[in-house]
Amino acid sequence: MRTIRGAVDSRNLFEILVREHIDAVRAFLLASLRDNVAVEDLVQETFLTAWKILDRYDRKLPFGPWVRGIAGKLLLNHRRQLGRNRVHFCDERVLGFLDEGFRSFEAAPGDTFDEQLDVLRDCLDGLTSAQRDSIRLHYEHGLHCREIAQRLDMNFEAVKKHLQRGRAVLHRCLTSKLEAGEVA
Amino acid sequence: MTDYDDPRDDRPLHELVPDDWRELDDTIADGPAPAAVPDEARPWLSHQRLMHGLLRALHTQDAAAREGRIEQIFGRIDAEAATAGRRHGLLVAIAATLLAALGVWFMLPQSLPTAEAAVGRIVGEMARDIDRRFRVEVCRAGADGQQLARHEFRLVTRPGMRFLVEGQIALGGANVGEIHIGCDGEELWLRPRKGRFRQVVPLARKEQLMKMLGDVLDLGYLDVHDLVRRLPEDFELRVVDRVRGDDGQDLLAVEASRRRKASKGPRRRLRSAHLLYEEQTGMIRQIEVETIRASGNTHSFLLEYLGEGAGGDVDYSKPW
Repeated sequence: MRTIRGAVDSRNLFEILVREHIDAVRAFLLASLRDNVAVEDLVQETFLTAWKILDRYDRKLPFGPWVRGIAGKLLLNHRRQLGRNRVHFCDERVLGFLDEGFRSFEAAPGDTFDEQLDVLRDCLDGLTSAQRDSIRLHYEHGLHCREIAQRLDMNFEAVKKHLQRGRAVLHRCLTSKLEAGEVA
Repeated sequence: MTDYDDPRDDRPLHELVPDDWRELDDTIADGPAPAAVPDEARPWLSHQRLMHGLLRALHTQDAAAREGRIEQIFGRIDAEAATAGRRHGLLVAIAATLLAALGVWFMLPQSLPTAEAAVGRIVGEMARDIDRRFRVEVCRAGADGQQLARHEFRLVTRPGMRFLVEGQIALGGANVGEIHIGCDGEELWLRPRKGRFRQVVPLARKEQLMKMLGDVLDLGYLDVHDLVRRLPEDFELRVVDRVRGDDGQDLLAVEASRRRKASKGPRRRLRSAHLLYEEQTGMIRQIEVETIRASGNTHSFLLEYLGEGAGGDVDYSKPW
Protein backbone atom coordinates (compact mmCIF):
# COMPACT_ATOMS: atom_id res chain seq x y z
CA MET A 1 0.00 0.00 0.00
CA ARG A 2 1.34 3.48 -0.84
CA THR A 3 1.88 5.59 2.32
CA ILE A 4 1.14 9.33 2.52
CA ARG A 5 4.89 9.99 2.65
CA GLY A 6 5.38 7.70 -0.32
CA ALA A 7 2.59 9.43 -2.19
CA VAL A 8 4.13 12.86 -1.57
CA ASP A 9 7.55 11.61 -2.72
CA SER A 10 6.01 10.09 -5.83
CA ARG A 11 4.19 13.28 -6.62
CA ASN A 12 7.36 15.34 -6.24
CA LEU A 13 9.32 12.90 -8.37
CA PHE A 14 6.56 12.93 -10.95
CA GLU A 15 6.52 16.72 -11.09
CA ILE A 16 10.25 16.69 -11.84
CA LEU A 17 9.68 14.12 -14.59
CA VAL A 18 6.77 16.09 -16.06
CA ARG A 19 8.84 19.27 -16.14
CA GLU A 20 11.72 17.46 -17.81
CA HIS A 21 9.70 15.67 -20.46
CA ILE A 22 6.52 17.61 -21.19
CA ASP A 23 8.02 19.60 -24.08
CA ALA A 24 9.47 16.54 -25.78
CA VAL A 25 6.15 14.66 -25.42
CA ARG A 26 4.35 17.66 -26.85
CA ALA A 27 6.77 17.81 -29.81
CA PHE A 28 6.31 14.05 -30.32
CA LEU A 29 2.53 14.58 -30.54
CA LEU A 30 2.90 17.71 -32.69
CA ALA A 31 4.71 15.49 -35.20
CA SER A 32 1.57 13.38 -35.67
CA LEU A 33 -1.52 15.45 -34.89
CA ARG A 34 -2.86 18.31 -36.96
CA ASP A 35 -4.99 19.97 -34.31
CA ASN A 36 -3.19 21.93 -31.56
CA VAL A 37 -6.10 21.49 -29.16
CA ALA A 38 -5.96 17.72 -29.60
CA VAL A 39 -2.22 17.88 -28.91
CA GLU A 40 -2.86 19.66 -25.61
CA ASP A 41 -5.55 17.11 -24.69
CA LEU A 42 -3.26 14.17 -25.44
CA VAL A 43 -0.32 15.72 -23.54
CA GLN A 44 -2.56 15.82 -20.48
CA GLU A 45 -3.91 12.31 -21.02
CA THR A 46 -0.37 10.99 -21.49
CA PHE A 47 0.87 12.32 -18.15
CA LEU A 48 -2.33 11.40 -16.30
CA THR A 49 -1.98 7.85 -17.57
CA ALA A 50 1.71 7.87 -16.65
CA TRP A 51 0.79 8.98 -13.12
CA LYS A 52 -1.79 6.25 -12.75
CA ILE A 53 0.64 3.52 -13.78
CA LEU A 54 3.79 5.06 -12.35
CA ASP A 55 4.38 1.97 -10.23
CA ARG A 56 4.99 0.06 -13.50
CA TYR A 57 7.78 2.40 -14.52
CA ASP A 58 11.22 0.84 -14.01
CA ARG A 59 13.27 3.69 -12.53
CA LYS A 60 16.49 2.19 -13.86
CA LEU A 61 15.32 2.98 -17.40
CA PRO A 62 14.98 6.44 -18.98
CA PHE A 63 11.56 8.03 -18.50
CA GLY A 64 11.39 9.69 -21.95
CA PRO A 65 10.86 6.55 -24.08
CA TRP A 66 8.43 5.13 -21.49
CA VAL A 67 6.19 8.20 -21.49
CA ARG A 68 6.43 8.56 -25.28
CA GLY A 69 5.30 4.93 -25.49
CA ILE A 70 2.15 5.92 -23.58
CA ALA A 71 1.69 8.94 -25.87
CA GLY A 72 2.08 6.67 -28.91
CA LYS A 73 -0.61 4.26 -27.70
CA LEU A 74 -3.01 7.14 -27.00
CA LEU A 75 -2.20 8.52 -30.46
CA LEU A 76 -3.06 5.22 -32.16
CA ASN A 77 -6.35 5.05 -30.21
CA HIS A 78 -7.08 8.63 -31.19
CA ARG A 79 -6.44 7.77 -34.85
CA ARG A 80 -8.73 4.75 -34.68
CA GLN A 81 -11.50 6.91 -33.24
CA LEU A 82 -11.13 9.96 -35.46
CA GLY A 83 -9.77 8.58 -38.71
CA ARG A 84 -7.06 9.58 -41.12
CA ASN A 85 -8.13 13.20 -41.52
CA ARG A 86 -7.00 14.30 -38.09
CA VAL A 87 -3.92 12.23 -37.40
CA HIS A 88 -1.00 11.90 -39.78
CA PHE A 89 -0.03 8.43 -40.97
CA CYS A 90 0.82 6.42 -37.87
CA ASP A 91 1.60 2.84 -37.06
CA GLU A 92 3.90 1.13 -34.58
CA ARG A 93 6.87 1.27 -36.94
CA VAL A 94 6.60 4.94 -37.83
CA LEU A 95 6.13 5.78 -34.14
CA GLY A 96 9.21 3.63 -33.42
CA PHE A 97 11.28 5.62 -35.93
CA LEU A 98 9.95 8.86 -34.47
CA ASP A 99 10.84 7.73 -30.96
CA GLU A 100 14.39 6.96 -32.13
CA GLY A 101 14.61 10.50 -33.47
CA PHE A 102 13.50 11.93 -30.14
CA ARG A 103 15.94 9.65 -28.27
CA SER A 104 18.77 11.08 -30.37
CA PHE A 105 17.50 14.60 -29.80
CA GLU A 106 17.61 14.03 -26.02
CA ALA A 107 21.42 13.95 -26.41
CA ALA A 108 21.44 17.56 -27.63
CA PRO A 109 23.29 19.94 -25.31
CA GLY A 110 21.19 22.10 -22.99
CA ASP A 111 19.40 21.81 -19.67
CA THR A 112 15.95 22.46 -21.08
CA PHE A 113 14.13 21.43 -24.23
CA ASP A 114 14.22 25.05 -25.37
CA GLU A 115 17.99 25.14 -24.98
CA GLN A 116 18.23 21.84 -26.85
CA LEU A 117 16.31 23.43 -29.71
CA ASP A 118 19.29 25.76 -30.20
CA VAL A 119 20.86 22.98 -32.29
CA LEU A 120 17.90 23.23 -34.64
CA ARG A 121 18.07 27.03 -34.63
CA ASP A 122 21.71 26.79 -35.72
CA CYS A 123 20.80 24.38 -38.49
CA LEU A 124 18.25 26.83 -39.93
CA ASP A 125 21.20 28.97 -41.06
CA GLY A 126 22.22 26.19 -43.45
CA LEU A 127 19.02 26.36 -45.51
CA THR A 128 18.67 28.07 -48.86
CA SER A 129 16.71 31.31 -48.70
CA ALA A 130 13.68 29.69 -50.40
CA GLN A 131 13.72 26.81 -47.91
CA ARG A 132 14.17 29.16 -44.96
CA ASP A 133 11.39 31.50 -46.13
CA SER A 134 8.99 28.59 -46.77
CA ILE A 135 9.69 27.10 -43.35
CA ARG A 136 9.41 30.45 -41.59
CA LEU A 137 6.10 31.31 -43.27
CA HIS A 138 4.68 27.83 -42.65
CA TYR A 139 5.77 27.24 -39.06
CA GLU A 140 6.21 30.73 -37.65
CA HIS A 141 3.36 32.49 -39.45
CA GLY A 142 1.10 29.46 -39.83
CA LEU A 143 0.54 29.98 -43.57
CA HIS A 144 -0.71 27.20 -45.80
CA CYS A 145 1.42 26.21 -48.83
CA ARG A 146 -1.04 27.95 -51.13
CA GLU A 147 -0.61 31.24 -49.26
CA ILE A 148 3.16 30.81 -49.17
CA ALA A 149 3.13 30.21 -52.91
CA GLN A 150 1.35 33.52 -53.45
CA ARG A 151 3.63 35.32 -51.02
CA LEU A 152 6.84 33.97 -52.59
CA ASP A 153 5.51 34.02 -56.14
CA MET A 154 6.05 30.35 -56.81
CA ASN A 155 3.73 27.42 -57.37
CA PHE A 156 2.22 25.13 -54.76
CA GLU A 157 4.40 22.14 -55.65
CA ALA A 158 7.56 24.23 -55.40
CA VAL A 159 6.62 25.31 -51.88
CA LYS A 160 5.99 21.68 -50.88
CA LYS A 161 9.40 20.71 -52.19
CA HIS A 162 11.15 23.57 -50.41
CA LEU A 163 9.49 22.56 -47.15
CA GLN A 164 10.33 18.89 -47.55
CA ARG A 165 13.89 19.50 -48.71
CA GLY A 166 14.39 22.07 -45.99
CA ARG A 167 13.30 19.55 -43.39
CA ALA A 168 15.62 16.94 -44.92
CA VAL A 169 18.54 19.39 -44.70
CA LEU A 170 17.64 20.19 -41.10
CA HIS A 171 17.44 16.50 -40.21
CA ARG A 172 20.84 15.87 -41.76
CA CYS A 173 22.36 18.85 -39.97
CA LEU A 174 20.78 17.86 -36.63
CA THR A 175 21.97 14.27 -36.92
CA SER A 176 25.54 15.26 -37.77
CA LYS A 177 25.67 17.78 -34.91
CA LEU A 178 24.28 15.26 -32.43
CA GLU A 179 26.70 12.56 -33.60
CA ALA A 180 29.61 14.99 -33.34
CA GLY A 181 28.43 15.98 -29.85
CA GLU A 182 28.21 12.39 -28.74
CA VAL A 183 31.71 11.61 -30.05
CA ALA A 184 33.11 14.70 -28.35
CA MET B 1 9.06 12.71 -63.01
CA THR B 2 11.19 12.37 -59.94
CA ASP B 3 13.93 14.56 -58.59
CA TYR B 4 16.42 12.06 -59.98
CA ASP B 5 15.45 12.94 -63.54
CA ASP B 6 16.69 16.51 -63.50
CA PRO B 7 20.24 16.49 -64.93
CA ARG B 8 20.90 19.96 -63.55
CA ASP B 9 20.12 18.81 -60.08
CA ASP B 10 23.19 19.04 -57.89
CA ARG B 11 21.42 18.72 -54.55
CA PRO B 12 22.89 16.20 -52.10
CA LEU B 13 21.44 12.69 -52.24
CA HIS B 14 19.63 12.93 -48.92
CA GLU B 15 17.33 15.58 -50.37
CA LEU B 16 16.40 13.46 -53.37
CA VAL B 17 13.43 11.16 -52.95
CA PRO B 18 10.88 9.75 -55.40
CA ASP B 19 7.87 11.97 -56.00
CA ASP B 20 5.44 9.32 -54.79
CA TRP B 21 7.09 9.42 -51.36
CA ARG B 22 6.49 13.15 -51.24
CA GLU B 23 2.79 12.52 -51.78
CA LEU B 24 2.76 10.28 -48.69
CA ASP B 25 3.83 13.20 -46.52
CA ASP B 26 0.47 14.47 -45.26
CA THR B 27 1.91 17.16 -42.98
CA ILE B 28 1.77 19.71 -45.79
CA ALA B 29 -1.56 19.10 -47.56
CA ASP B 30 -4.91 18.96 -45.77
CA GLY B 31 -6.20 15.72 -47.23
CA PRO B 32 -6.50 12.44 -45.36
CA ALA B 33 -3.37 10.55 -44.35
CA PRO B 34 -2.34 7.70 -46.66
CA ALA B 35 -3.89 4.34 -45.81
CA ALA B 36 -0.55 2.57 -46.19
CA VAL B 37 3.10 3.47 -46.64
CA PRO B 38 5.78 1.28 -48.29
CA ASP B 39 8.48 0.10 -45.92
CA GLU B 40 11.28 1.84 -47.81
CA ALA B 41 9.55 5.24 -47.43
CA ARG B 42 9.06 4.98 -43.67
CA PRO B 43 12.48 6.28 -42.52
CA TRP B 44 12.24 9.34 -44.80
CA LEU B 45 8.65 9.97 -43.73
CA SER B 46 9.63 9.64 -40.06
CA HIS B 47 12.51 12.10 -40.49
CA GLN B 48 10.08 14.58 -42.08
CA ARG B 49 7.67 14.11 -39.20
CA LEU B 50 10.41 14.45 -36.59
CA MET B 51 11.44 17.79 -38.05
CA HIS B 52 7.78 18.78 -38.46
CA GLY B 53 7.20 18.16 -34.73
CA LEU B 54 10.39 19.95 -33.67
CA LEU B 55 9.69 22.94 -35.92
CA ARG B 56 6.13 23.25 -34.60
CA ALA B 57 7.47 23.01 -31.06
CA LEU B 58 10.19 25.56 -31.82
CA HIS B 59 7.65 28.12 -32.99
CA THR B 60 5.15 27.57 -30.20
CA GLN B 61 7.52 27.80 -27.21
CA ASP B 62 5.66 29.75 -24.55
CA ALA B 63 6.77 29.63 -20.92
CA ALA B 64 3.38 30.71 -19.54
CA ALA B 65 1.49 28.14 -21.62
CA ARG B 66 3.96 25.49 -20.46
CA GLU B 67 3.32 26.32 -16.80
CA GLY B 68 -0.41 26.27 -17.52
CA ARG B 69 -0.08 22.77 -18.98
CA ILE B 70 1.79 21.51 -15.93
CA GLU B 71 -0.71 23.13 -13.58
CA GLN B 72 -3.58 21.51 -15.44
CA ILE B 73 -1.99 18.09 -15.20
CA PHE B 74 -1.44 18.38 -11.46
CA GLY B 75 -4.84 20.00 -11.00
CA ARG B 76 -6.41 16.90 -12.53
CA ILE B 77 -4.18 14.57 -10.54
CA ASP B 78 -5.09 16.36 -7.30
CA ALA B 79 -8.77 16.46 -8.21
CA GLU B 80 -8.78 12.72 -8.90
CA ALA B 81 -6.93 12.07 -5.65
CA ALA B 82 -9.44 14.22 -3.75
CA THR B 83 -12.34 12.43 -5.41
CA ALA B 84 -10.78 9.08 -4.52
CA GLY B 85 -10.29 10.26 -0.92
CA ARG B 86 -13.86 11.45 -0.64
CA ARG B 87 -15.10 8.17 -2.05
CA HIS B 88 -13.06 6.27 0.49
CA GLY B 89 -14.49 8.36 3.34
CA LEU B 90 -17.98 7.84 2.13
CA LEU B 91 -17.41 4.11 1.89
CA VAL B 92 -16.36 4.06 5.50
CA ALA B 93 -19.46 6.14 6.36
CA ILE B 94 -22.98 5.10 5.63
CA ALA B 95 -23.55 3.01 2.52
CA ALA B 96 -27.00 4.46 1.98
CA THR B 97 -25.61 7.99 2.00
CA LEU B 98 -22.98 6.92 -0.49
CA LEU B 99 -25.60 5.52 -2.83
CA ALA B 100 -27.70 8.64 -2.60
CA ALA B 101 -24.67 10.87 -3.10
CA LEU B 102 -23.53 8.87 -6.10
CA GLY B 103 -27.02 9.02 -7.51
CA VAL B 104 -26.92 12.80 -7.41
CA TRP B 105 -23.32 12.88 -8.62
CA PHE B 106 -24.17 10.82 -11.70
CA MET B 107 -27.01 13.18 -12.50
CA LEU B 108 -24.74 16.22 -12.57
CA PRO B 109 -23.61 17.25 -16.06
CA GLN B 110 -19.90 17.47 -16.88
CA SER B 111 -18.64 21.04 -16.82
CA LEU B 112 -18.95 22.88 -20.11
CA PRO B 113 -16.00 24.63 -21.79
CA THR B 114 -15.87 28.40 -22.05
CA ALA B 115 -17.44 29.97 -25.13
CA GLU B 116 -14.03 31.34 -26.19
CA ALA B 117 -12.54 27.86 -26.07
CA ALA B 118 -15.53 26.45 -27.96
CA VAL B 119 -15.45 29.02 -30.75
CA GLY B 120 -11.66 28.89 -30.91
CA ARG B 121 -11.89 25.16 -31.39
CA ILE B 122 -14.53 25.44 -34.13
CA VAL B 123 -12.58 28.17 -35.95
CA GLY B 124 -9.43 26.07 -35.74
CA GLU B 125 -11.18 23.09 -37.26
CA MET B 126 -12.97 25.16 -39.92
CA ALA B 127 -9.67 26.80 -40.94
CA ARG B 128 -8.43 23.54 -42.42
CA ASP B 129 -7.98 24.07 -46.13
CA ILE B 130 -10.43 21.43 -47.31
CA ASP B 131 -13.82 21.41 -49.04
CA ARG B 132 -16.89 20.91 -46.85
CA ARG B 133 -20.46 20.23 -47.88
CA PHE B 134 -23.52 21.72 -46.25
CA ARG B 135 -27.28 21.74 -46.76
CA VAL B 136 -28.57 25.29 -46.55
CA GLU B 137 -32.14 26.23 -45.76
CA VAL B 138 -33.28 29.85 -45.95
CA CYS B 139 -36.69 30.82 -44.58
CA ARG B 140 -38.24 34.26 -44.79
CA ALA B 141 -41.02 35.25 -42.41
CA GLY B 142 -43.07 38.41 -42.01
CA ALA B 143 -43.13 40.58 -38.93
CA ASP B 144 -46.10 38.51 -37.74
CA GLY B 145 -44.04 35.32 -37.91
CA GLN B 146 -45.84 33.87 -40.94
CA GLN B 147 -43.52 32.08 -43.35
CA LEU B 148 -43.31 33.89 -46.70
CA ALA B 149 -40.76 31.79 -48.55
CA ARG B 150 -38.43 28.85 -48.12
CA HIS B 151 -35.41 27.90 -50.24
CA GLU B 152 -32.99 25.02 -50.03
CA PHE B 153 -29.47 24.87 -51.45
CA ARG B 154 -26.43 22.65 -51.59
CA LEU B 155 -23.23 24.38 -50.53
CA VAL B 156 -19.58 23.43 -50.89
CA THR B 157 -17.21 25.80 -49.18
CA ARG B 158 -13.56 26.24 -48.32
CA PRO B 159 -11.85 28.94 -46.22
CA GLY B 160 -10.90 32.09 -48.13
CA MET B 161 -14.38 33.05 -49.40
CA ARG B 162 -14.53 30.11 -51.75
CA PHE B 163 -17.91 28.51 -52.24
CA LEU B 164 -20.32 26.93 -54.70
CA VAL B 165 -24.09 27.04 -54.18
CA GLU B 166 -26.68 25.15 -56.19
CA GLY B 167 -30.44 25.22 -55.82
CA GLN B 168 -33.81 26.46 -56.99
CA ILE B 169 -34.21 30.19 -56.82
CA ALA B 170 -36.62 32.91 -57.86
CA LEU B 171 -35.18 36.20 -59.06
CA GLY B 172 -37.41 39.25 -59.18
CA GLY B 173 -40.46 37.10 -58.53
CA ALA B 174 -39.78 34.80 -61.48
CA ASN B 175 -38.62 31.27 -60.86
CA VAL B 176 -35.42 30.82 -62.86
CA GLY B 177 -34.99 27.21 -61.81
CA GLU B 178 -31.73 25.63 -60.77
CA ILE B 179 -29.00 28.19 -60.37
CA HIS B 180 -25.29 27.99 -59.62
CA ILE B 181 -23.47 30.67 -57.68
CA GLY B 182 -19.77 30.53 -56.97
CA CYS B 183 -16.87 32.49 -55.62
CA ASP B 184 -13.17 31.67 -55.92
CA GLY B 185 -12.06 34.27 -53.38
CA GLU B 186 -11.70 36.96 -56.05
CA GLU B 187 -14.68 36.81 -58.38
CA LEU B 188 -18.29 36.14 -57.64
CA TRP B 189 -20.27 34.53 -60.44
CA LEU B 190 -23.82 33.39 -61.11
CA ARG B 191 -25.17 31.09 -63.81
CA PRO B 192 -28.51 29.34 -64.26
CA ARG B 193 -28.23 25.63 -65.01
CA LYS B 194 -30.16 26.25 -68.20
CA GLY B 195 -30.16 29.46 -70.20
CA ARG B 196 -27.57 31.96 -71.26
CA PHE B 197 -27.91 34.60 -68.56
CA ARG B 198 -24.75 34.79 -66.47
CA GLN B 199 -23.02 37.37 -64.32
CA VAL B 200 -19.59 37.85 -62.80
CA VAL B 201 -18.41 40.65 -60.50
CA PRO B 202 -15.27 41.21 -58.45
CA LEU B 203 -15.78 40.03 -54.87
CA ALA B 204 -15.39 43.61 -53.64
CA ARG B 205 -18.64 44.42 -55.47
CA LYS B 206 -20.64 41.51 -54.12
CA GLU B 207 -23.51 43.81 -53.10
CA GLN B 208 -24.24 44.23 -56.82
CA LEU B 209 -24.91 40.52 -57.22
CA MET B 210 -26.70 40.28 -53.89
CA LYS B 211 -29.21 42.88 -55.07
CA MET B 212 -30.10 40.52 -57.90
CA LEU B 213 -30.62 37.72 -55.41
CA GLY B 214 -33.04 39.92 -53.56
CA ASP B 215 -34.04 38.60 -50.18
CA VAL B 216 -33.12 35.02 -50.93
CA LEU B 217 -29.49 34.53 -50.06
CA ASP B 218 -26.96 36.50 -48.06
CA LEU B 219 -23.64 35.53 -49.61
CA GLY B 220 -21.74 36.74 -46.56
CA TYR B 221 -22.87 33.68 -44.63
CA LEU B 222 -21.51 31.17 -47.10
CA ASP B 223 -17.91 31.48 -45.94
CA VAL B 224 -18.69 29.42 -42.85
CA HIS B 225 -15.19 29.74 -41.42
CA ASP B 226 -15.36 33.53 -41.61
CA LEU B 227 -18.90 33.60 -40.24
CA VAL B 228 -17.89 31.72 -37.08
CA ARG B 229 -14.61 33.60 -36.74
CA ARG B 230 -16.42 36.96 -36.70
CA LEU B 231 -19.10 35.97 -34.21
CA PRO B 232 -17.19 37.03 -31.05
CA GLU B 233 -16.82 40.57 -32.45
CA ASP B 234 -20.45 41.51 -32.02
CA PHE B 235 -21.93 38.72 -29.94
CA GLU B 236 -22.04 37.44 -26.42
CA LEU B 237 -21.32 33.73 -26.67
CA ARG B 238 -22.35 31.04 -24.22
CA VAL B 239 -21.99 27.26 -24.24
CA VAL B 240 -25.50 26.31 -23.17
CA ASP B 241 -25.85 22.56 -23.45
CA ARG B 242 -24.27 19.21 -24.13
CA VAL B 243 -26.38 16.72 -26.10
CA ARG B 244 -25.81 13.27 -27.52
CA GLY B 245 -26.08 13.09 -31.33
CA ASP B 246 -27.79 10.24 -33.20
CA ASP B 247 -24.36 8.79 -33.91
CA GLY B 248 -23.43 8.76 -30.22
CA GLN B 249 -21.12 11.81 -30.48
CA ASP B 250 -21.24 14.39 -27.70
CA LEU B 251 -22.37 17.70 -29.19
CA LEU B 252 -22.08 21.11 -27.55
CA ALA B 253 -24.56 23.90 -28.19
CA VAL B 254 -23.28 27.48 -28.35
CA GLU B 255 -25.66 30.43 -28.27
CA ALA B 256 -24.68 33.82 -29.66
CA SER B 257 -26.75 36.86 -28.77
CA ARG B 258 -26.04 40.33 -30.09
CA ARG B 259 -24.31 42.77 -27.75
CA ARG B 260 -26.30 45.92 -27.12
CA LYS B 261 -23.68 48.28 -28.51
CA ALA B 262 -22.83 46.16 -31.54
CA SER B 263 -22.73 47.96 -34.88
CA LYS B 264 -25.82 47.81 -37.04
CA GLY B 265 -25.62 46.90 -40.69
CA PRO B 266 -27.32 49.23 -43.15
CA ARG B 267 -29.82 46.75 -44.53
CA ARG B 268 -30.02 43.77 -42.29
CA ARG B 269 -28.98 42.86 -38.81
CA LEU B 270 -27.85 39.49 -37.56
CA ARG B 271 -29.97 38.96 -34.45
CA SER B 272 -28.85 35.64 -33.04
CA ALA B 273 -26.95 32.49 -33.90
CA HIS B 274 -26.94 28.95 -32.58
CA LEU B 275 -24.12 26.51 -33.21
CA LEU B 276 -23.90 22.80 -32.58
CA TYR B 277 -20.46 21.21 -32.75
CA GLU B 278 -18.74 17.93 -31.95
CA GLU B 279 -17.08 18.22 -28.59
CA GLN B 280 -14.27 15.83 -29.42
CA THR B 281 -13.27 17.22 -32.80
CA GLY B 282 -14.52 20.82 -32.87
CA MET B 283 -16.36 20.07 -36.13
CA ILE B 284 -19.48 22.15 -36.67
CA ARG B 285 -22.66 20.14 -37.20
CA GLN B 286 -25.24 22.89 -37.50
CA ILE B 287 -25.38 26.67 -37.60
CA GLU B 288 -28.58 28.67 -37.49
CA VAL B 289 -28.51 32.44 -37.83
CA GLU B 290 -31.42 34.82 -37.78
CA THR B 291 -31.42 38.26 -39.34
CA ILE B 292 -34.00 40.97 -39.08
CA ARG B 293 -34.72 43.67 -41.66
CA ALA B 294 -35.87 47.23 -41.22
CA SER B 295 -39.31 46.05 -42.39
CA GLY B 296 -39.51 43.65 -39.45
CA ASN B 297 -39.23 40.61 -41.72
CA THR B 298 -36.90 37.93 -40.44
CA HIS B 299 -34.65 35.51 -42.28
CA SER B 300 -33.43 32.30 -40.76
CA PHE B 301 -30.44 30.68 -42.33
CA LEU B 302 -29.71 27.06 -41.41
CA LEU B 303 -26.53 25.22 -42.39
CA GLU B 304 -26.29 21.49 -41.80
CA TYR B 305 -22.91 19.84 -42.23
CA LEU B 306 -22.94 16.87 -44.61
CA GLY B 307 -19.26 15.98 -44.68
CA GLU B 308 -16.00 16.75 -46.40
CA GLY B 309 -15.78 17.19 -50.18
CA ALA B 310 -16.16 13.94 -52.02
CA GLY B 311 -12.82 13.34 -53.74
CA GLY B 312 -10.58 15.84 -55.52
CA ASP B 313 -10.26 19.58 -55.12
CA VAL B 314 -13.36 21.57 -56.07
CA ASP B 315 -12.89 24.21 -58.76
CA TYR B 316 -14.53 27.41 -57.51
CA SER B 317 -13.67 29.56 -60.51
CA LYS B 318 -16.36 30.61 -62.99
CA PRO B 319 -17.10 27.75 -65.39
CA TRP B 320 -16.89 29.74 -68.59
